Amino acid sequence: MGAFVRILASVKTALEMRTLVNSEPQVEASVAAPTLIEPSAAQIQVPIARVTHRAELLSSFARELEAIGGVFAGSVSPGELPTRSVAIADQLGALIIAVGEGVTHDLLPIANLLEQHHRDLILFGAAGDDEARRAALARIARADLGIVEAHCAIAASGTVAVVASPARPNALTLMPPAVLVIVPADRIFPDLASAIEQLGPDLIAGRRTVFITGPSRTADIEKRIVIGVHGPRNLHVLALWPTDV
Amino acid sequence: MAVSSSNPGFFAAIETSIADTELRRKLANASGHHLESAASTRAEFPRYDEEREAARSLKTAAIGRLDELLIELRTRLEGNGCHVFFADDAAAARRYIVDLARVRKLKRAVKGKSMTTEEIELNPALEKAGVEVVETDLGEYIVQLRHEPPSHILTPAIHLSKEDVGQLFHDRFGTAYTNEPERLTAVARDNLRAAFLSADLGITGVNFAIAETGTLVLVENEGNGRFSSTLPDTLVAVMGIEKVIARLSDLSHFLEVLARAGTGQKITTYTNFITRPRSHDELDGPREIHVVILDNGRSRILADPVLREALNCLRCGACLNVCPVYRSIGGHAYGYPYQGPIGSIISPALFGKAAGHLPFASTLCGACREICPVKIDIPKLLLHLRWKENQNNLQWPRGAAKARRGAARFGRMANHPRTIRALSRIAVLIMRPFAHEGYVKWMPGPFRNWTLTRDFPVPKAPLKHRSADQPQSN
Ligand code: SF4
Repeated sequence: MGAFVRILASVKTALEMRTLVNSEPQVEASVAAPTLIEPSAAQIQVPIARVTHRAELLSSFARELEAIGGVFAGSVSPGELPTRSVAIADQLGALIIAVGEGVTHDLLPIANLLEQHHRDLILFGAAGDDEARRAALARIARADLGIVEAHCAIAASGTVAVVASPARPNALTLMPPAVLVIVPADRIFPDLASAIEQLGPDLIAGRRTVFITGPSRTADIEKRIVIGVHGPRNLHVLALWPTDV
Repeated sequence: MAVSSSNPGFFAAIETSIADTELRRKLANASGHHLESAASTRAEFPRYDEEREAARSLKTAAIGRLDELLIELRTRLEGNGCHVFFADDAAAARRYIVDLARVRKLKRAVKGKSMTTEEIELNPALEKAGVEVVETDLGEYIVQLRHEPPSHILTPAIHLSKEDVGQLFHDRFGTAYTNEPERLTAVARDNLRAAFLSADLGITGVNFAIAETGTLVLVENEGNGRFSSTLPDTLVAVMGIEKVIARLSDLSHFLEVLARAGTGQKITTYTNFITRPRSHDELDGPREIHVVILDNGRSRILADPVLREALNCLRCGACLNVCPVYRSIGGHAYGYPYQGPIGSIISPALFGKAAGHLPFASTLCGACREICPVKIDIPKLLLHLRWKENQNNLQWPRGAAKARRGAARFGRMANHPRTIRALSRIAVLIMRPFAHEGYVKWMPGPFRNWTLTRDFPVPKAPLKHRSADQPQSN
């Protein structure tokens, strides 16, 4: 507690020192003196480019996703979702598959079809005691593929925003080597600012949230890009095109 | 160049680095292609300059009411169920974290990349207390295995070649030697996955702390920060007081410029929002979150109205990448965890007088100011610090005094065109026999020093003659 008060006091005193007490010669490199008091945050606005066409947003999203090493697996109607998901699981050779709960759509039909195809399924209920929790995590660690629905996506950067829930753990898009993210086409927003605004503080701060842009990567050895360090090396995205449009 | 005599070790380090041509090759290799791709990412984004301006104003506004924001942040964090500890200095921060590990009987820590924990020298303290600490960012992992400090705030192992890493892994793990980054990364991935699964303590940095919601934002590409803040039961996040921003809606303006400047990506692979410990119904996430908020000299920076701007820094690493000094001497020569132009500005405040010479290690070329995503006027701040350092009894070291006398002599000579013309003719005549493909790599006797650290281009004609061919400007 003491340190908090002390630090606040020194910050306060520091902030009050708006003018220099000693006389410093004007240095030549200073092009313009910085203004020390800036306009309040509320006055600063950057215009947000709003593109209204859903198809345009979707194609921009797909292009950006592919540019950073993700795979855009096309757009499907809700009815086609299970078959397409199983096809992607086959393509990836995934045998153990973890499915998180949906957001706007029920993902259980995917789970059911996977089961019919004799895949090893991991579903999530309530966490239970600590031992059950650890066991569930250990199972995700062995999964070949995680399937989740994103809350929204960002067209300008190919980003998906995934908000965790008890039946959609954060580890689901982190531990398996491959992830399939389902994005409703009407939840693709033009840019970061509009996506953050749409999600809002309650959602983002309510549960663990992550913005995922492409597969996990590093450039730590001679700046050469290597895909799949700690997180998934395969990131597939399926867009869900609602049947009512 | 005026240099405070306080640090003879710095000169030795610079000389060693410059003589290391292999190091310079690696640095050039790693930054050349990368700079181009970063520049094109920015060029493709029409709003880049607007976003930079917005980021700069928002950050300046936040620093301008840092006291209020820190109160709000603390209230929110505690309301969310996080523990908050304010640390005056590095020792206080270390003590808190070490005590926590002791009380909770934590034995195995995994760390996401965090320069602030380098700043407080956390690892040795934890190890002394019997906690095994594993760095999990690939670059950090590599330098940890080599018992070295990081040489770049963003790419800690930039001073190493893929062959160096291959040899290191071969020696340490007995895996077959390879210099392929893909295979080396796979080895590290397996080792570190095991560490993540068995760790009971996660330690990360913080890129932004949102006062409005009490949310910690952590950006990264690998997923090590995500793992460190998801699997272990206890999370310690260490941040400087300057990391606080006012609102969630401010965040996009920072994210739009941070990765574009630093790595040339539009946005990093993962942007993690960490707000609260896991609730009873959740499977993962830490059960306990401790946020350590560190002053350690930052309020001193704040108290200097000129220097204050340095607190806007997002630690994107761009100013290091473009700095001609950094690119010739590498990160280790600086001797502090924050290297390059921004390091030279903040290190004296964070680490005290011993770092007072760093502001002189710059050519003031201004490349850093051009690239900085929050438009920090780095050259101006460096000059300001030089001025301050000169106020405190400055002595010229021998070499610098000699150079000053030489420059003064040249100045007098330059006033006599005939003398200088004659001398430059003689110089060319002397140099010619030693030239090879237009460069002189070595000269004997008294001229040796000129070619010690660089190749000297042979002028085609004496200096003054060339300028006589060109149209007169006055
Ligand atoms: S000073 Fe600017 S360019 Fe340098 S690391 Fe900080 S934000 Fe990046």
